Amino acid sequence: MNIDTERLMLALTLLLAGFIIVFVVLILLILIITIYGKIIQTAQGASQKRKQQKKKVVVEAKKEEKTAGPAVFGNAGSQNDEIPGEIIAVIAAAVDAVYGKSAHGRIRSVKRSRSSRSEWGRAGIAENTRSF
Amino acid sequence: MDIFSQLGNIIVELYKSSGLATLGWQNYVMIVISFILMFLAIKKQYEPLLLLPIAFGMMLVNIFPAIMGNPVTQFMTEEQLVAGGLDPNSYIKTTMADGSVVYNVTQNGGLFYYLYQGVHLGIFPPLIFLGIGAMTDFGPLIANPKSFILGAAAQIGIFITFIGAILLGFKTNEAGSIAIIGGADGPTAIFVTSKLSPELLGPIAVAAYSYMALVPIIQPPIMKLLTTKKERSIVMGQLRPVSKLEKIIFPIVVVVLVAILLPDAAPLVGMLMLGNLFKESGVVDRIAKTAQNELMNIVTIFLGVTVGATASGTLFLTPKTLGIIALGLIAFCLGTACGVLFGKIMCWATKGKVNPLIGSAGVSAVPMAARISQKVGQEENPANFLLMHAMGPNVAGVIGSAVAAGVLISVLK
Repeated sequence: MNIDTERLMLALTLLLAGFIIVFVVLILLILIITIYGKIIQTAQGASQKRKQQKKKVVVEAKKEEKTAGPAVFGNAGSQNDEIPGEIIAVIAAAVDAVYGKSAHGRIRSVKRSRSSRSEWGRAGIAENTRSF
Repeated sequence: MDIFSQLGNIIVELYKSSGLATLGWQNYVMIVISFILMFLAIKKQYEPLLLLPIAFGMMLVNIFPAIMGNPVTQFMTEEQLVAGGLDPNSYIKTTMADGSVVYNVTQNGGLFYYLYQGVHLGIFPPLIFLGIGAMTDFGPLIANPKSFILGAAAQIGIFITFIGAILLGFKTNEAGSIAIIGGADGPTAIFVTSKLSPELLGPIAVAAYSYMALVPIIQPPIMKLLTTKKERSIVMGQLRPVSKLEKIIFPIVVVVLVAILLPDAAPLVGMLMLGNLFKESGVVDRIAKTAQNELMNIVTIFLGVTVGATASGTLFLTPKTLGIIALGLIAFCLGTACGVLFGKIMCWATKGKVNPLIGSAGVSAVPMAARISQKVGQEENPANFLLMHAMGPNVAGVIGSAVAAGVLISVLK
């Protein structure tokens, strides 16, 4: 195999140039995106504050439900208007299925999370995370 | 008896024109390989959208090679045309240097020859990028721009493989085309190869798409080898919501910056970002849907069958092709490893806030590579959702591989 020095030098130069150029271009993009992201966030935050001052803010009360075990879930439904006992039982079963016997704690409260994603968004995630 | 002898002649002629007489052993090997690829596409569902047309094109060209045949122009005299029952007035007349008059008789090429021009002239890859752009949500990347580092790191494998290909005796332009397989981006690999060494389009495209289909098999062992159980279990914080305005500005900023610095990457990055602007602007919904559905599907069919049709047995089964496929695999593995190693560096730099598994998603192959990060992470911690975090490096990898392609083309062209 006869590899002349000139070609090897070209290969090494390309390695170095490629490495530097790709990183420089992408780091420039990081800087630009970070800067304009901050500017837009600040601008939108300021306009939201103004809107909030004009409107009356309705705060949703956080609902907590204390439960001690599966036997108590049935009663939990009657104590909580929003989360029925059956749903709490399903959540407890799901937690048990995921963590199994490795989790020795007990479920003390079930809170409804405020999801930032739409149903379609969540369906998309479920589709993309299904097993192969 | 005359009838029987004519029947015999017809059968002999039929045999001579059939595959049984004209095909070599290489064609039969490729037909068997195409069956295996079809099995993987249909039964195992490994990237069936690509693998199925590729495998079918491969099978068809090895049974009927003329389907990829070039158009041929013959010079015939008037007497020859008349003897063949052809009208000389239908053909272009040419006067030769010796004063004789001949007619240009052109025979059309095979069907795939014409469809292949989209690959050969570098038209299909940017169109595929248009569709990918219209389907991609760059939100995770905008929310965490540092993902670009991982998208860049995974491209290092390309440049290291370039040295390997040079050491193995490939020409510099061939080495560039082989190395780009490490970007795990089929359209980019085809685009670069059509510019640098069109004669290698077949093996490089088949290798690039095969490795993209085999991401679930190739990547996990490398990811597990380079990370500890503790690192794989890291749960990353939720990404910030990204506003619509940020998403609209993003494609414009990327195109302006990349096209100014690296004009050779402009066709790929430009079309990718045009597709994304269609989607994010929300004002050309019809065009966005066409780009991500009908146009993308049509181009995928043409690209798939013609790329498969380049794998003709006599041209494909050579030591050079095997070298390309082996180097392509090394490039792909190196890209994955570099991404994970940079993920580890980011994990260390952020004091354990970054899961190194998302680094492997830097090798384009959207969204499969990100799904692998998710899957491997969830094996250690079932409550861990890395998908959205991995999508950042994944889409950064698409931009990174297009930038790397621009570097290779501008230096080696």
